[in-house]
Amino acid sequence: MIVLVLRRGALSLVTLFLLATFVFFATEVLPGDALDVSLSADEMAMMPPEVLARRRAELGLDRPVLERYLGFLGGLLNGDLGRTIITRAPVADIVAMPLRNSIALAGVTLLLALPVALAIAMAAAQAKGRALDNAVSGAAIIGYSIPEFVTGLLLIAVFAVWWPVFPATITASTDDPLGVLLAAAPLAIATTIIGSIAYLGRILRVGLIEVMAADFVERLHLSGIPRWRILWLHALPAAMIPGLSAAALYAASLVSGVVVVELVFAYPGIGAELVRAVTRREVHVVQAIALAAAVCVVLFNLLADLGIAALDPRTRRA
Amino acid sequence: MTITRRTALAAAAASPLLGIDAVAQPSTPVRGGTLNIAQCSANRRSASPQNARHPYFLVDATTRLPYGCLVWVNRALQLEPELAERWGPADESMAVWDITLRDGLLFHDGTPVTARDVVASFEFHRTRSPFARQIERIEAVDRLTARFFLDAGNAEFPFVLGEYDSVIMPAAPPETIGLSGIGCGPYRIVSTDPNRSIVYERFDRYWRAGLPLLDRITLHNREGQQDSAIAGLRSGQFDVVMTIDPTAARQIGRDQDYVVETGGGGYHYVVQLPQHPGSPFLDKRVRQALAYAVDREAIVRLVYGAQNGWVGNDSHLVAADPNFLPRPALPRAQAVARARALLAEAGHPNGINLGTLYWSPQTPEAGRYFQVLQETVREAGITIALDQRPNDGYVQFRTGDNDFAQGRFHRFAMTAVGPRNPGISLFRMRGANVESGHWRGPEQDRYMALYRQAMATREDAARRAMFHDMQRILHEEVPALLPAGAMTFAVRRRNVQGFAFHPQIWSVRFDEVWRS
Amino acid sequence: MTVLLRRPAALLGLLLVALHLAVAIAAPWIAPFAPTSLLDAPLEPPGATYWLGTDDLGRDAFSRLLWGGRVAMLVAFAAGAVAVLGGALLGLAAAYRRGSFDDVLMRLVEMKLAVPTILFVAIFVTGFGQSVPVLIVAVGIIQMMGVVRTTRAAGIVLMEQGYVRAAQLNGEGGATIILRELLPNVADLMAVEFALRASSALLLVSALSFLGLGISPPTPDWGLMVEDGMALLESEPALVLAPALCIATLVLGINLAAEGLSDALGLDAARGGGG
Repeated sequence: MIVLVLRRGALSLVTLFLLATFVFFATEVLPGDALDVSLSADEMAMMPPEVLARRRAELGLDRPVLERYLGFLGGLLNGDLGRTIITRAPVADIVAMPLRNSIALAGVTLLLALPVALAIAMAAAQAKGRALDNAVSGAAIIGYSIPEFVTGLLLIAVFAVWWPVFPATITASTDDPLGVLLAAAPLAIATTIIGSIAYLGRILRVGLIEVMAADFVERLHLSGIPRWRILWLHALPAAMIPGLSAAALYAASLVSGVVVVELVFAYPGIGAELVRAVTRREVHVVQAIALAAAVCVVLFNLLADLGIAALDPRTRRA
Repeated sequence: MTITRRTALAAAAASPLLGIDAVAQPSTPVRGGTLNIAQCSANRRSASPQNARHPYFLVDATTRLPYGCLVWVNRALQLEPELAERWGPADESMAVWDITLRDGLLFHDGTPVTARDVVASFEFHRTRSPFARQIERIEAVDRLTARFFLDAGNAEFPFVLGEYDSVIMPAAPPETIGLSGIGCGPYRIVSTDPNRSIVYERFDRYWRAGLPLLDRITLHNREGQQDSAIAGLRSGQFDVVMTIDPTAARQIGRDQDYVVETGGGGYHYVVQLPQHPGSPFLDKRVRQALAYAVDREAIVRLVYGAQNGWVGNDSHLVAADPNFLPRPALPRAQAVARARALLAEAGHPNGINLGTLYWSPQTPEAGRYFQVLQETVREAGITIALDQRPNDGYVQFRTGDNDFAQGRFHRFAMTAVGPRNPGISLFRMRGANVESGHWRGPEQDRYMALYRQAMATREDAARRAMFHDMQRILHEEVPALLPAGAMTFAVRRRNVQGFAFHPQIWSVRFDEVWRS
Repeated sequence: MTVLLRRPAALLGLLLVALHLAVAIAAPWIAPFAPTSLLDAPLEPPGATYWLGTDDLGRDAFSRLLWGGRVAMLVAFAAGAVAVLGGALLGLAAAYRRGSFDDVLMRLVEMKLAVPTILFVAIFVTGFGQSVPVLIVAVGIIQMMGVVRTTRAAGIVLMEQGYVRAAQLNGEGGATIILRELLPNVADLMAVEFALRASSALLLVSALSFLGLGISPPTPDWGLMVEDGMALLESEPALVLAPALCIATLVLGINLAAEGLSDALGLDAARGGGG
């Protein structure tokens, strides 16, 4: 078990290193640099090239890429995420609160969506092939076919504009207490939950149906144990394994969804910060956010792997 | 002259509104209340927790909430006094200027505003702001008067003092000046959420007696998120949304609960026609053909709506500028025939393919604008392909990495242009690798000679005659295409009073805004 | 195929996809007007000349609707093909070779799975521009990683089969075994993967267009039409709802077909999709 944890941990570190390298080079080859975007078109039109070159040198933007790459990796090892190019502020300061807020949004989504998805999947699995199951599968596939931004815009149109019961956009501050922030974001949370339920419900239903068709379930059934009992006590734990192995995909899609939803609702999280950083070419902020998102997904994945190991004796031996 | 309700209204009446009350309700202003403002313009400034109060890192719209400038550019793009009581050139060279402050101005911390603060502020601006780079030296003459020494004569220098960077801050060394967020504007900063929102409250010792009227203003940044801002307005979260596009303005203007305000002649687009060796635009007749072929009225009508846009004249001046000289107009059929004739003369009797015109979504309607341009020039046999580039890195992309020495020229590309005085606007067509597409030749020389002469001319009418000559050169030479522009728009709830929008977002003032 | 036709949901899915494909292909001949012509006043109501009225530039909304799926479908299906072909070859090669090649590939797959898709494409598109080929390649590469995972898993099972062992003993080369023995046996899986990848590519492209990083004007495109129309939702709902319905029915059609196909083949569609 310990060996497995160490092995998984080491592999995760390799993944993160590859990712850091990818993110660095992808962001460094982007056209233009931070200085250009920090100036307006009006200012660019008024500023001679030699002044631009001088300011670029001041910011270290004229150093070779390799030198900057090594500096970047060294900084990461020391836990230093660098400073922003335009304002010279520590990146960690800028990213910390939005990251907290995004994790809160994702966490609330997971906490609320998982039990609902599970209940739906169980009901559907119990009624496999019948009207309820078909209705659930149909709803899931439709939910799964609608992009998050469309869901979000529709919720705004209905519940904030036509029937104004919820705020359309989030005006709470980045450093408000999480309770205040989440209370200001009912439609954003609803949007991520709808997407998550469709996603999780599908995966869990398939897993449950597969397990319910397995031999051991058949034996339990023959020995007279009621179907609901089999479902809860035997099938559910077994069905968690395929569910957990899809966790990495779910985590990444949850983060993608959160990015889009944050933009739709102006939620003060990493998604909004990321788009702002990309358009301002705040390379260090883009790098920090991409890495932070990846660390979350990798950790989630690691936990899921350990969960599988705990549930499935075969993996534990391997 | 001071800024009264009447001047603001006169300017409003001069520019066509969206058919909505040009005359504000005559009720008496009431003090108190909170105003929530959202603003959607793409502002390039960013903020970090340390310097979110600095004037350079606040969004444009707030320049005149916590801060003030020496002069104010009014809605007709004319100068009016603000913190300065009077100004003028010290000699005939127009290169030395004396500016005298009003007496009795106070910063938010209660200290008086003096010439020393003007000097310290412009010591900072002249190294950081491109508009103020022409200032070589500033000195305090007495307690209230500062003297500016420029690198050359500039009759329009006072406009620089009204630019968005040019605010007055309490004197401090350049490293720390402005970080406190203390200004002498009508509202003082209470708290900031960098990039998202700023909360202000009334400054009770503001220099304009009895103003401002509101207790609090909260400004929410919704740049690039107009749908979100308007949904917030409709759901009751915002009272004013600034810088919305014409389609949204038309749409929301139909609703009785809201009033659309226009700032008169706002931004427009310049299409750069690069004139490097081998370029089709090297032939003046091709540029002229393009200028005739583009249906400017169609752009105004289809993209902006007839009342909300204006026809450009291929200079950087906006139609609201008193120096603006319209391009002689031809009926559409004649203009198309003229374009075809010019192309035939230039050796393209069957029309010409001008390649790809690059654009970026700098405003929500940019895509529609260039689709109309593309369709209308087709009628004259001119084929253009459109290619969208992201805003990110666009400036460098369109200028060819700004590396003229490497033979990289400006691309055939568009960009948005803001409304400014002729001194700044007409300089943009100088014969360098700029928006003029590296325009060259005797007419270019004559244009710049006129520019230098105008900048050293004191008398307004004489200067205007030179500006008109310069625009005539542009009509004939078409170094770049500036077909049409739009008003700027803001929308307010009907109970928000005393709010007038402005073609320059940084010149919007909230002094007289109140809620009924 | 007959198995598929016996499932009503799958049949409906296939019909939807076929209809959309047919309209997209025939658009230049069946559309009453050119999709970019400025024909009339903006926002004319629907009528005999303009069946859905005119859009905000006075173009025929119905003609634009007929044209509007072409580029998105091209990107989605081409990216799906890139993903499935590239992914299957890489996945099977990994299953065949195992060892360090497999390790490196799986690390890359995991790395990609750890980055939210939108961010990945956004970085790509920002660097290389917003053209259709760039979109196909970027979306294709992203979708490829998921295919690598599923085909590798299938390949590992196949490698244990007697006929693959036999081919190895006969001294067949790696390329031959992958192409002749493994690839044909994952054809079913690839068909399902293709449908799943294409539907998720369509969603991805529409989200990218929403962020301003996808298909760009003057290309008539449903995603752009929805975005442009949002400001007009209250007065001209048809300009938003018609293209939104087109996107939804196309994605739904592909998903239903994929579900039916995987059911029929005994595969697990839910687990492979997404990401």
